[in-house]
Formats: sequence, C-alpha cells, structure tokens
Amino acid sequence: MITAVNVSRWYGQVIGVNDINCEIGPGITALLGMNGAGKTTLIRLITGQLRPTTGELRVFGLEPFANPEVYRRMGYCPEIDNFYEHYNGREFVRYLARLDGMNAKEAARRTDEVIDMVGMTERAGKKIAGYSKGMRQRIKLAQAMLHDPDLILLDEPLNGLDPVGRREFMDLLGDLANRGKAILVSSHILFEVEQMTRSLLLLHRGRLLATGDLGIIRSLIDKHPHQIRIDTDEPRRAAELLAGLPNIVSMKFDRAGDSIQLEVREPSAFYDALQDAILDKNLAIRGFSSPDNNLESVFKYLVES
Amino acid sequence: MELAIFNQAFRENLRFKRVIPWIVLGVICTLFAMNWETFQPGSDKAQQYGSVSSIFVFHILALTSAILTSTIMTQEVEQKTIVYLLTRPVPRWKLLIFRYLACSLVVAILAIIDAVMVNAGVYSGIGSAANLGRDIAALTVGAFAYGAFFMLIGLLFNRAMIVCLLFAFGWESAVPNMPGQMCYLSINSYLQAIAQHPSAGGNKPMGLLSSSAGDNTLSSGTGYIAMIIFSVVLVVFGAWWFTSFEYLPREDAE
Repeated sequence: MITAVNVSRWYGQVIGVNDINCEIGPGITALLGMNGAGKTTLIRLITGQLRPTTGELRVFGLEPFANPEVYRRMGYCPEIDNFYEHYNGREFVRYLARLDGMNAKEAARRTDEVIDMVGMTERAGKKIAGYSKGMRQRIKLAQAMLHDPDLILLDEPLNGLDPVGRREFMDLLGDLANRGKAILVSSHILFEVEQMTRSLLLLHRGRLLATGDLGIIRSLIDKHPHQIRIDTDEPRRAAELLAGLPNIVSMKFDRAGDSIQLEVREPSAFYDALQDAILDKNLAIRGFSSPDNNLESVFKYLVES
Repeated sequence: MELAIFNQAFRENLRFKRVIPWIVLGVICTLFAMNWETFQPGSDKAQQYGSVSSIFVFHILALTSAILTSTIMTQEVEQKTIVYLLTRPVPRWKLLIFRYLACSLVVAILAIIDAVMVNAGVYSGIGSAANLGRDIAALTVGAFAYGAFFMLIGLLFNRAMIVCLLFAFGWESAVPNMPGQMCYLSINSYLQAIAQHPSAGGNKPMGLLSSSAGDNTLSSGTGYIAMIIFSVVLVVFGAWWFTSFEYLPREDAE
C-alpha cells in the first residue's frame, strides 16, 4: 500500500528523513523512533502534507500530496492535540464526516458508530475544551476511522490513554488489521509497540535503521548486557545471593549503600532465576528498575552492534 | 461536502463572540451618524450619510475583511487544525473557495448592518432607500474584493494580519486621495464609484477623511467590472497556490 524509494525530506538545512526505502502492506506496522527521529515527517509525507525533497513515495500507487483519491482510502490520527475547542466531540467528528463526502444523514449515522467504537458515546455531547487528554485521543481516533479507510496512520495514538483505554484501543487495531487494513502506528515507547505488532520500522536520526520482525531486534538487544538496579536495605546480602546466578556480567554498590547495580546478559533468564535466589529467602527489596530498558538504549545497542 | 465547508466557515465567523466587536462599532457609527451635523454643519442628509458611510462603514468593511478573511487558512494553520482538513478527500481549492465565499458573505453582512444603522441614524430612523441600496451593492462587492486580496495575502505571507491592517487603514485611506491616476490602485476608489456618495462640497478635511479628495472619475459600471475581475483573478491564483504548496502548523514548518 505504501512504497518509499530513496525518500528524503529536508527542512532548509535540517534533514527530516534521509533516504528511506520501505514497503508497508496490510497488518499493523510500528514506526518506532525517539523524539526527533523523523517519524512525524515520514507520516506527513505519507499523508501528503509534505512532498519529498528527493525520492518517490507512493500510496495506493499514487502520489499522495494533496491527492483526494489517496485520502478517500486513508485515515489519519495526528499527534497534535488541537481541535475546534468550542465544538463538542460529535459535532467535530460529524463535520469531518461531511468533508469525507457523506451526506448529513450518513455522516450522523457513521459519527455515532465510530464514537461508539472508541467508547465516547456518553461524553460526545460535551465541549472538546473540557476533554481530558484520553478523551481527545479517542475523538482523534474516531475521526480517522470515519470513512472505513484501507490505510490508517496513527501518530503516537496511545499518548494519554489510560490502561483500559490502551487495551481497548489495541484490540480495536487488532480487529482492523484482521480485516485486512494496513495500520501504521508511530511510537517512541518500545513496550507499547511490542503489545501491538511484531513488524517494525526503526527510525533513528532520519534514517531507517532496521525493518522487520521485533523478535530479531529483541534478541540482538538481549545479547547486550542490561543494567538492573535493585534497591534494598541489605545490599551486601543481596550481592551474596545474586553472585551465583547465571548471566551476571558485573555488580556494584552505589555510594549511598542502599542499592546494587547489575549488568546481566539475557535478562529474561536472569529474571526467571531471580525469584528463587532472592525473594524466596526473605530479602526485603524496596525497588526494582531497569534503567536502560528503553528505546534510547535499543538504538544505542543497534548503532553499536 | 461544499455546503458543509461553507456552513462551517459561515457559522464559525458569525459566532457571537466574534460578531460582538462589530456590533459595538456599528453602534458607535450610529451615534456619530445621529450627531453628524455637528461635524459637517450646513450639509444635507444625503451628504451626511455619504460622509459617515465613507469614513466609517467603508473603513470598517476593510477592517472586518482584513481580520476575518486574512485568517481563512492561517487560523487553521496556527491552531493546527489544518491537518484535519488537508487529509480529507476534498480538493484543496474547494476548501479555500467555499471558506472564502462564506467569510466574505459574513463580512458583507456585518458591513451592511453597519450601513443600515448609520442610515437610520442620519435619517432619524426612517432611512433613505436609494443611498442605502447603492451602499449595499458597493459593500457586497467590496467584501468579496477585499476578501480575495486579504485571503491571498494570508496564503502568501506569515503574520499577514499586519500587512492587511496596514493596507486597510494606510493604503486604502491615503491612495484614493492622491492626485492623478494613483487612486485607481485602491479598492476603495472603485467602491466609492459604485456607491456614488455625494461630494463633501468644499469641505477639504471631510473630503480627505471620506477618501474622495483624489481625481476619481470612475463610473459605477467600471467599478463593478474592475472589482469582479480583480476578485476572480485573485481567488483563482489563491486556489492554485493553496493546492500547490505545503501548509503545516507554523512552528512545525520552521
């Protein structure tokens, strides 16, 4: 559905995306990258808000810039949080339904349907100005699904959604993907994306760093030592208990003496062994964190490897 | 689809919060109209109405248009809602033209309300149909002509409102009073030709204020033709421009 060949986009002297080559078909694809990686630029190119500086981008075989034929089959949920604040949710969605070419009756019917799909039926009559971040997000999703598009682009769609909302939204995306829709979801949170899809496009500083299955990327990451921090009042005893575990590369105490910092390989194997080693021996643990289990570290590992 | 674009823009511009300053201005104009004899002693009612209309109503027309029409698209860009509009299966030119038509109609309505109030003020509530009729025609044509110009400025430049306000107050007040053919470079001159306001007599300051001190010899017909051609050319050019170039929320584009 989407084909990019050597696509680059410059903003004056600043590069937005650089030499992107990819093909995106049906199913959920995650566009992953840190803030400023070029995710939004790529989405804006695909949605025809921008033109590539060089290269060729096609959506449904057509050039997307200002092309109504493309928009007829595309739904877009932007990252921005702006609306006509004095409208209520239903009015906003209905207006966009009219712009999709529906007559008044059809627009009203379809508006009610999509508002129901995103769980906003009860609150759609309230002014958008009074909406929470999560409610705004749901209304944006609703307008993206109005005309039952074949391709849906979602720019950071889970921002502001509560856990229940996230779960419902992910289920909804799963249903749409099962119906043969192509869904491109941008995010900077790896954990979030992992729950939705295995298919990834990894952007870093405007370049497409990796494409393909999340498992391969994960295994690459898992071979690299992970940092794990354990907060406890008995760090020495903890160290004693942990020393025998497999996959530990290094261990050090922090200066305050109330935590221990580990470097481990294959963290999942380590976590499995951790329970027997520590928790069953009544060691009080106040906190547990993995400071480098984030996207920034993923990119660091990938760039280094 | 076209009707939806038009209706949304029309209702948006006629929101009470937006209209209230123009109603207040209309009331102020009416108060001036009721007491205009103080400023132009010895003049007849037609002259008084012509002066008040030229000085206030036609300048309010330019001001209203500068404020409402220059933001037809820039407001959407600044509040970032442009994204929703540009990713819909509606050709960009339709989006622009129907919003322009709605916005210009609102400007015309607001200016006509002011003209009616001024007319009622000068003629003590009875009004003069002949003067008012010509003014309504001139204000309607003017709303669309100014609208086309300010819309284009809004599409071409950042912070277009400043340029438009300078044009509405500076250019449109000064140029019609200039000697020779300079006055033909002002929209106001053509509108005055359509309105056919009676001259201010020998009252030079009043002539300058009402933008009738220049050598404007345009006929009413020429005024209509020139303004229609002007509006159509600018709207077509604006539609082409808006279809061909990128419009992104401002800070994202910089």
